[in-house]
Amino acid sequence: MTFSLALRLRVFLRSFAIQGSWNYRTLVGTGFAFALLPVLRRVHGSSTPALRSAVERQAALFNTHPYLSGIALGAVARLEAEGAAPELIDRFKAALRGSLGSLGDRLVWAGWRPACMLLALLLLFLGLPWYLAVGAFLLTYNAGHVLLRWWALHTGLQAGRNVAEQVREAGLEPLRDRIAAAASFLLGAALPLLVMEGLTTDPIRPPTALVAAAAALLGLRFGMVTRRPALTGLALVVAAGFILGLAR
Amino acid sequence: MNIWGLAAIGGLVGLDATSFPQVMVSRPLVAGTLTGLLFGEPAQGAMVGAILEVFDLGILPVGAARYPDSGTATVAAVAAYSLVPLHALDPGVLLLAVIFGLSWEFVTGASTVWLRRLNERLVLSTPRWHGRPGRALERLHLTSMLLDFLRAAMLSVGGALLGALLLKPAAGHWALGSEFAAAALTVAAATVLGALISVFGGWRERWRALLVGLACGSLLLLLR
Repeated sequence: MTFSLALRLRVFLRSFAIQGSWNYRTLVGTGFAFALLPVLRRVHGSSTPALRSAVERQAALFNTHPYLSGIALGAVARLEAEGAAPELIDRFKAALRGSLGSLGDRLVWAGWRPACMLLALLLLFLGLPWYLAVGAFLLTYNAGHVLLRWWALHTGLQAGRNVAEQVREAGLEPLRDRIAAAASFLLGAALPLLVMEGLTTDPIRPPTALVAAAAALLGLRFGMVTRRPALTGLALVVAAGFILGLAR
Repeated sequence: MNIWGLAAIGGLVGLDATSFPQVMVSRPLVAGTLTGLLFGEPAQGAMVGAILEVFDLGILPVGAARYPDSGTATVAAVAAYSLVPLHALDPGVLLLAVIFGLSWEFVTGASTVWLRRLNERLVLSTPRWHGRPGRALERLHLTSMLLDFLRAAMLSVGGALLGALLLKPAAGHWALGSEFAAAALTVAAATVLGALISVFGGWRERWRALLVGLACGSLLLLLR
C-alpha cells in the first residue's frame, strides 16, 4: 500500500487534534486512533470486524508529545499497512511511549516555546508595537511547530519499525541544546530591559532597578522555587495598597 | 460587552491549549492581545497578557501534571480589566487584574481536570466501538473537543463578569501610587523571569549564553 499525499495530509491534519479527548485512562489513546483512522479505513475497509479490532487496539493507552506524535503515527501506519501482528504493534507503541513524550517536552515545552516567547517579550521591552511582537511569536513558533510535525510524520512513515534509529540520527538532542542556549541568551538580553524599564509605562527609579536586579539574581540562583514567594509578595502588596486606600 | 465574541475567543483559546491545534494562541500574550482587540484596546490587552506571560512562562505541561489553563484565565482577566471605566488611570486596577488572572488559573486548571475525567467516562461509555467503529470514535473525539470549547467559553465569560465585579469597586482606592505599583510588578516579574534559567538547564550550564545576552541587553538599553 502506498501513502499518497492526500492520505498523509489527512493524518497530518488530524494529528493537530491528537489530544482532543485526553483522559486519565487512555491518555492520548483515542486521539491517536482518531488521527490514524484514515489509514485504518484504507487498510481494513470502512466497517469491518478488522477495523473494529484495529480501532480498539489503537485507542488503548498511549502517550506522546503532540508535536512528535507523527513519528508514532507514521511508523504504526506503516506497520498496519504491512499487516504486522497486533502484538508487535502494541509492543512497538509501548516502546515509543515514554521516549517521545520526554524528548518532545524538553525540545518544545522547555526549549522552543519559551525561546520564541522570550523573543516576543524582548521586542515588547524594546518598545516595538504589540502586533510585531505577537506576530513574530506566532510566525516563528509555528514555523518550527508545523515543520516538526511534518518531519515527524514523514520520518515515521519512511522508517517504520526502525524509527527509533532514525530519530537518534536526526540530532534532536543537540538541537535541543542549541535552542536552550539561544533561549538563555534571549533571557539574558530581556532581563536588563525589564529591570530598567519595567512592564508598564511608569518610570523605574534607580533604587527600584537595584531591587529588581537583586530579585532577578535570586531567580537565577534558586530557579522556579522563587515563583510562589514572588507572587505571594505581589499579592500582599496589592492587598496592602487597597486596604490603605479604603482606610483613608 | 460582546458576550458572544468573548465566549468565542475564550473557547478558541481554551481549545488551543490542549485539544486543537496548539498554535499557541492560548499563550497569555496572544490571548490577552486578542481579548484587547475585542474591546478596542489591543495594546492594553497585550500589556496585561505580557505580564501574565512572564509569570506563566516557566510552567511546563509535562506528562500528566496538573497544569493551569492560563490562556482562558487571561481572556477573563483582560476582559474584566477592560470593563472597568478609566482603568488605564488606575495602576491598582491593573495589579488587581493580574492577581485575578493568576487566581482564576486555578479554576480553569481544575476545570481541565474535570473535563479529562468526563472524557474518561465518554471513552468507557463507548464499549468496544459497536456499529461503525470509525464514526463512533470520531463522534467521541469531536464531542470531547466541543466540551472543551464550551468549558473555556463559559469560564471566560464567567471569569470576566466575576473579575469586573471585583475590580470595579476597587477602582480609585489604590493608595500607593503608580510608581510603586510599577515597582512591585517589576520586582516580582524580574524574580520569575530570572528563574526561567532553570528551565534551560540552570545557571551553571547556561552562564556563558546568559552573560552574552546580558551584555547585549545592556548595550541595547544604552543605545535607546
